[in-house]
Amino acid sequence: MSNQQFEQDLRNKIDQLDKNMQPQRDLWTGIEVALSEQHTTKKKPYLAIAASVMVVGLVGWLGLKSDIVADNSPQLVQTLTQQHQQQMQGLLVTYADAPALTNDWQQQLDELDRAADAIKQALAKDPNNPALLKMLQQVYQQQIDLVEKVHAPGWQRI
Amino acid sequence: MTLATNVIEAEAKFDQETRLINAARGGDKQAFQTLYQKYIGMVYSLCFRLMGDGPLAEDASQEVFIQLWKKLENYRGDSKFSTWLHSVTANIAISYLRKQRGWLQRMFHIEDTDAINTEAEGSAGDVDLDEYVKRLPERARIVFVLHAIEGYRHEEIASMTNMAVGSSKAQYHRAKQLLKEWMGYE
Repeated sequence: MSNQQFEQDLRNKIDQLDKNMQPQRDLWTGIEVALSEQHTTKKKPYLAIAASVMVVGLVGWLGLKSDIVADNSPQLVQTLTQQHQQQMQGLLVTYADAPALTNDWQQQLDELDRAADAIKQALAKDPNNPALLKMLQQVYQQQIDLVEKVHAPGWQRI
Repeated sequence: MTLATNVIEAEAKFDQETRLINAARGGDKQAFQTLYQKYIGMVYSLCFRLMGDGPLAEDASQEVFIQLWKKLENYRGDSKFSTWLHSVTANIAISYLRKQRGWLQRMFHIEDTDAINTEAEGSAGDVDLDEYVKRLPERARIVFVLHAIEGYRHEEIASMTNMAVGSSKAQYHRAKQLLKEWMGYE
């Protein structure tokens, strides 16, 4: 069959696409909650923020000092991991009484855990790689973001 | 219906929408909800096709309206509200997709391989285009949706997605080739 036929067929199918699809669940309720949340003071654990800033700063500085990473990578990974665990514990305690707004957040947390483990294994084999250290920090940050999002509906997940 | 009646009706609708936008800007949630009801179909359809995933598109649609609440003051009325909202939606959806997709995929620029393994199903006549668009690799899907379905130029897509214009064209070509194959034209 010719290219012309394909183009015509594709054009017809594009023209027939539904441009007014409706979501399966009610989205307005969540939006309304989020808009109300924007007016209230966002309760954020100051300790977690401080720890986060410290970890980001540490990794950022070390990104510029690859020789230091090479010499100290195992200790840095350990420090990063310890700080992250403390930060996560603090967050989970803070949000212990807050309802989680999605069902699969713990599964997502586990997936990120596995990702972090994979990076740590890669770092054990390649300690001279500051990019891996940054990736580890990013995965940890994603875990923090995830916990905050599912417990504080002011942002993406409602 | 006469031309004059059409013009009067169009003006009335325009005025009503302008009133809603102004009221929402002033903090009127009911007005904002009316805008939501009017445009959720457009926003969700675009998110659905860009994401290729219903639940993710629902989350992104919520994000669009949450951000829209703040962004409304940026709307100056230079273009139709629907055109402006369409562009806002595309940008937020792409940004949302970047945040949500697997970090490994992003870090190592791994394309999802589902599309490559997809075999053609059925004949060209009974193809559900949305099903095939959903299976396109992510970057090819975004470019195809924005260019072929939504009518954006490659220059605009390049700016939205931070890719080169040439890459946008290449991804579009790739999407077309895959669709051609799946639709039984190759």
